[in-house]
Amino acid sequence: MNLKEKMKRRLKLNRPSLRARARPPKQRTAMGQQFTAANLPVSLSMQVCTACEHHQYPPAELCGRCLGDTLRYQEVNTAGQLLSRSALHHSLWEYYKRRIRIKPWQIGSVKLRCGPVIIGHVAEDALQAGDDVAVFSHSDASQAAVLIIVGATTPIATPAQRNDIVTALCLGQPAEKKGGI
Amino acid sequence: MRDYQGVVMTTPVSLGYQRQSAHGAPWFIGMVLRELILRAGLSKPDIEGLAISSFSLGVDSVVSLTQHFSLSPRWIEQADMGGVSGIVALRRAARAVQAGEAEVIACIGGDGAAHRSFEHTAANFSSWSIDAAFPYGAGGPNAVFSLITSRYMADFGATREDFARICLDQRYNANHYAQALLGHKTLSLDDYLSARPIAGPIHLFDCVMPCAGGEGFLLMTEDRARHLGLPYVQILATDERHNSFSEDPVQQRAGWACYRDSLYTRAGLGPSDIDLLQTYDDYPVISMLQIEDLGFCDKGEGPRFVRETDMRFDGSGKPTNKLPHNTCGGQLSCGQAGSAAGYLGLTEALRQLTHKAENNQVTTARTCLVSGYGMVNYDRGLCSAAAILQGADS
Repeated sequence: MNLKEKMKRRLKLNRPSLRARARPPKQRTAMGQQFTAANLPVSLSMQVCTACEHHQYPPAELCGRCLGDTLRYQEVNTAGQLLSRSALHHSLWEYYKRRIRIKPWQIGSVKLRCGPVIIGHVAEDALQAGDDVAVFSHSDASQAAVLIIVGATTPIATPAQRNDIVTALCLGQPAEKKGGI
Repeated sequence: MRDYQGVVMTTPVSLGYQRQSAHGAPWFIGMVLRELILRAGLSKPDIEGLAISSFSLGVDSVVSLTQHFSLSPRWIEQADMGGVSGIVALRRAARAVQAGEAEVIACIGGDGAAHRSFEHTAANFSSWSIDAAFPYGAGGPNAVFSLITSRYMADFGATREDFARICLDQRYNANHYAQALLGHKTLSLDDYLSARPIAGPIHLFDCVMPCAGGEGFLLMTEDRARHLGLPYVQILATDERHNSFSEDPVQQRAGWACYRDSLYTRAGLGPSDIDLLQTYDDYPVISMLQIEDLGFCDKGEGPRFVRETDMRFDGSGKPTNKLPHNTCGGQLSCGQAGSAAGYLGLTEALRQLTHKAENNQVTTARTCLVSGYGMVNYDRGLCSAAAILQGADS
């Protein structure tokens, strides 16, 4: 098989379910990419309006309250309350399909004390709707920032502590398939 | 708000329902248009206005379609608003007819279902969904609605058996409607409860099946409809609201609660005068929210209401507490044909109120409330709309 044939065959087989390494959705808008960049050095950073103090999430170009072009990223309070949680048994994305084969994927929504409602990965099985929780950001295996929900008392002050939680969730590693291309 | 005197709805068309299709959206939209023209006895130049709803036109729009179909309309509208597109198209078109901007307007929703196209739509639905919802499990709408459903169950004590009431009665209705993709299968409570889990409390039969299909109807002056000898329906009142109750942390109500009283006042009717109800049933919990917010029961009473009410189209069950609901089976049993799903309640209402439904005709159908819900931009559906329609004979 020459290189051309090999590449043609690879293209034909290049569907998500056959890849050796599947990763979480990488696609973000320009705003989402800024969110990732702003969250690299801290536990949780969000856009805050310098004119009206509105905390904006999901990220946007203008302040959703005063419509000012005055949003700046700053570190925010990680505390919030778990609104609802759910175990996903089905996904449209190969990475999660492989994770779900091992156990259902846990997501939840949180009302942050600083204002916004976020959707995030839930790291602890014991958490229930109404519980006080903390939310931090971390890069996943696609190098995009995602939000992780933990109990209010779970230590997340240091990067090492946060990294351990993400590792336990297997979010930092691609989902492997033996014999994939 | 002015009434809709002199404007009528006519000629319901539903066609092409398929689980997967090689045809694109223009095929479904064009086929509906063709049917509308044939059934109404019109010719193409009579279509002076065209309102289109579709998720899968890609780089094309209603403008492109005028050239595809060799039409030269003097009024066009694009209402790509998912579950409210039908009612929004109806509202815009009715005013245009009333204002004399066009005498006959075709309102059409249509979408194809190419292999893996649903995945693409879900992954690219909105910028907020791309950045802040889809990356979390990539469950698509199932994930967001599982969060809404589990909170509703916790707050109001709803059980899976309650949601089953909606799904089972709709499946019974679909068993009598030829176009329903799942109409050939019956659904029992055991089937429902033992279905495979999808997301949290949402199991297989709580989910709609994405499919291809087209739905449409005509809006025209009452005089024209009479002249053409078409059975028609009058529009008593309509309303819409977007991003309502945005301060609620989890969605448990939507725009219907804002305009319900005014809607009934304008129609000169109350909830007890409604003979049949067509809600937007992308998930049973959303139908329950509509039943509550549209005044059929109080907030949180939805589970009790569906337990006590028979929602089948015919005389099944006790004669008291009847409210035929989603009489063709809704999306849960017909399939969700993209934007056409936002027209399904309207075309079904038209068939029922003109007594042209076939095996699923509600014999007493005079007034129908149709409601729409749609567009999960991030964590909730933003659009809500409703229309009260009445058969012209009464």
